[in-house]
Amino acid sequence: MIAAARFVAVVDDDESVRESLPDLLRELGFTVQAFASAEEYLESGAIGKTDCLILDVSMPGMSGPELQEELSRRKLATAIVFITGHSDENIRTRLLAAGAVACLHKPFSEAALVSAVNTAVRAA
Amino acid sequence: MTVDSGHSTAEIRILQRCISDLVSVLALPATWSGGEPSQIVRTLLESLPGMLHLDLVYVRVNDRVGGSPIEMFRVGTGPPEEAGAAEIGRILYGWMGADPEIRPQRIPNPAGTGKLTILPLRLGLNGEIGVIVAGAARDNFPGQTERLVLSVAANQALIGLQQAQLLIKEMAEHRLADERLRLEEDELRRSEARKAAILDSALDSIVTIDHEGCITEFNPAAERTFGYRRADVMGRPLAEVIIAPSLRDAHRRGFARYLATGEATVLGKRIEMTAVRADGTEFPVELTITRIPSDGPPAFTGYLRDITERRQAEEALARVRSELAHVTRVTSLGVLTASIAHEVNQPLSGIITNASTCLRMLAADPPNLDGARETARRTIRDGHRASDVITRLRALFGKQAPTVESVDLNEAAREVVALSLTELQRRRVTVRTELAKDLPPITGDRVQLQQVILNLLLNASDAMASVEDRPRRLVIRTDRDEGDQVRLTVQDTGVGIDFHSVDRLFDAFYTTKTGGMGIGLSISRSIIESHHGHLWAAPNDGPGASFIFSIPHSAASGRP
Repeated sequence: MIAAARFVAVVDDDESVRESLPDLLRELGFTVQAFASAEEYLESGAIGKTDCLILDVSMPGMSGPELQEELSRRKLATAIVFITGHSDENIRTRLLAAGAVACLHKPFSEAALVSAVNTAVRAA
Repeated sequence: MTVDSGHSTAEIRILQRCISDLVSVLALPATWSGGEPSQIVRTLLESLPGMLHLDLVYVRVNDRVGGSPIEMFRVGTGPPEEAGAAEIGRILYGWMGADPEIRPQRIPNPAGTGKLTILPLRLGLNGEIGVIVAGAARDNFPGQTERLVLSVAANQALIGLQQAQLLIKEMAEHRLADERLRLEEDELRRSEARKAAILDSALDSIVTIDHEGCITEFNPAAERTFGYRRADVMGRPLAEVIIAPSLRDAHRRGFARYLATGEATVLGKRIEMTAVRADGTEFPVELTITRIPSDGPPAFTGYLRDITERRQAEEALARVRSELAHVTRVTSLGVLTASIAHEVNQPLSGIITNASTCLRMLAADPPNLDGARETARRTIRDGHRASDVITRLRALFGKQAPTVESVDLNEAAREVVALSLTELQRRRVTVRTELAKDLPPITGDRVQLQQVILNLLLNASDAMASVEDRPRRLVIRTDRDEGDQVRLTVQDTGVGIDFHSVDRLFDAFYTTKTGGMGIGLSISRSIIESHHGHLWAAPNDGPGASFIFSIPHSAASGRP
């Protein structure tokens, strides 16, 4: 079901997420690259080839939702899975309304992650 | 010398009469000695007409003290009269002029018919005292001897009048002196009465003691406060009466030292001590002792105020403050809930992800043991991280008695920054720490101090919430000042503060924020002051404000 070498980008300012999440995604068969900030991701060559963007909501500098806006401004229909440490239902609803595939609250299970990323990759 | 016997007989008779008149005139002062000017005038009027066969005598004495003059006259051997004297005087002066010369003048009789020869006699060198006018209808007036008798009479009258005036002046001075004395005595009495009234009506206890420390005054407030009657304590040693037994020795020593050396530790200052009532109950008083300024052996006044109620209020206030401090903590907790959840969820997320990865790596064929080991290691690390967060939270938000320990302000600041970093990031605030190396430790309650730092960070962040045109930058800095203080500064680039109302910032419930509780800064300041430090605000060179506190470091404060 999962096509090999689907490209997943992880954008999170938290280092432990950047080191743990890619390993798990690789174990699940994805190609993964991690970025420490929205700006770093925008400047990389990865934006055009991203099948799924796993994006932290609150970060210093450009936030997750702002990156979402920026991508949509650039007409890039990247499938986004938000992850957040804040359990704010309002934000979740708004993000989903703006086109996000899913919004996962930390800590999330492997099953929830797999489900969300698969949905995203299918949408891509 | 040859003498015409006929002529000489008449002359001798005249001279004899003259001498007899002179003797009478010289005797006049005896009758008016110590008398008033009017008595002198009356005596003149009674004696001169008979003596010199005068038809009119007029006497005027100017009152030099400023009152009305005395004017009297006598016609022939009639009674001396005052009524009409002014009219006669006016007529006489009309003939004599204002400054009468001693020369006879024939004028119409102003008090009768026909003509009179008048002779004015000045009283005083220029008539400044008055005038005597003698008048007679006969042609041979005034003869030489009559002039002599009259001028001697005028001289005698002058001396009498001058004495009388001196006497009057003296009496007036006496009266004045008496009056002054009486006024002074009245004033003294009133002043004493006022003092007594002050003593009686004072709400504070007022007790005076002599140089032996014995009570010399004990006002009604003191009677009420201490439960003694004034009469029962007068003359007794103060120490035995109102000073708590535990302090009596110290009081006696201090009193003896003052008397011996003049060295006083309590004079002129407000001090608080424990006093004791007649029934033996002890209570706190505020005491001011002053030395009574007077000559002789020293005496002292003590003003005592029962401050039991104030103490209770202070203790109640301290309790409320402590409650408020807790409320602030809990409020901060509310503010930080999201941040805290994030702080805990972050490592939990790592644990779950790493553990999932680990399981997958172990299940692979062949198992990826190196990868599994690495992810297991990360799992343990994140587990510790979560545990650390919980420990910090428990310290920060549990209500516990203040503990005194050695605190590294840098470490305390780092922990607070770590805990609030996510919240600050969410608010788009960048935090820079500039922590001094080799910062000496301070002594205090680490959690309370972290409360203050957290409060300052949140305030700074609030102050920058509306800032869009410049970076929201927050600097937290520690350093040592030139003296013995360790300083922590939280500097923001926010809207700044109005330095006219800067003092009110620290009032409880004063707030410039719509959502604020307003007790943060007030509590913060009371916490810092309980650490013997200061908390204040200062403007920045650029936009925003700085809040700074300084606390003496442990070595300086001499405490553990």
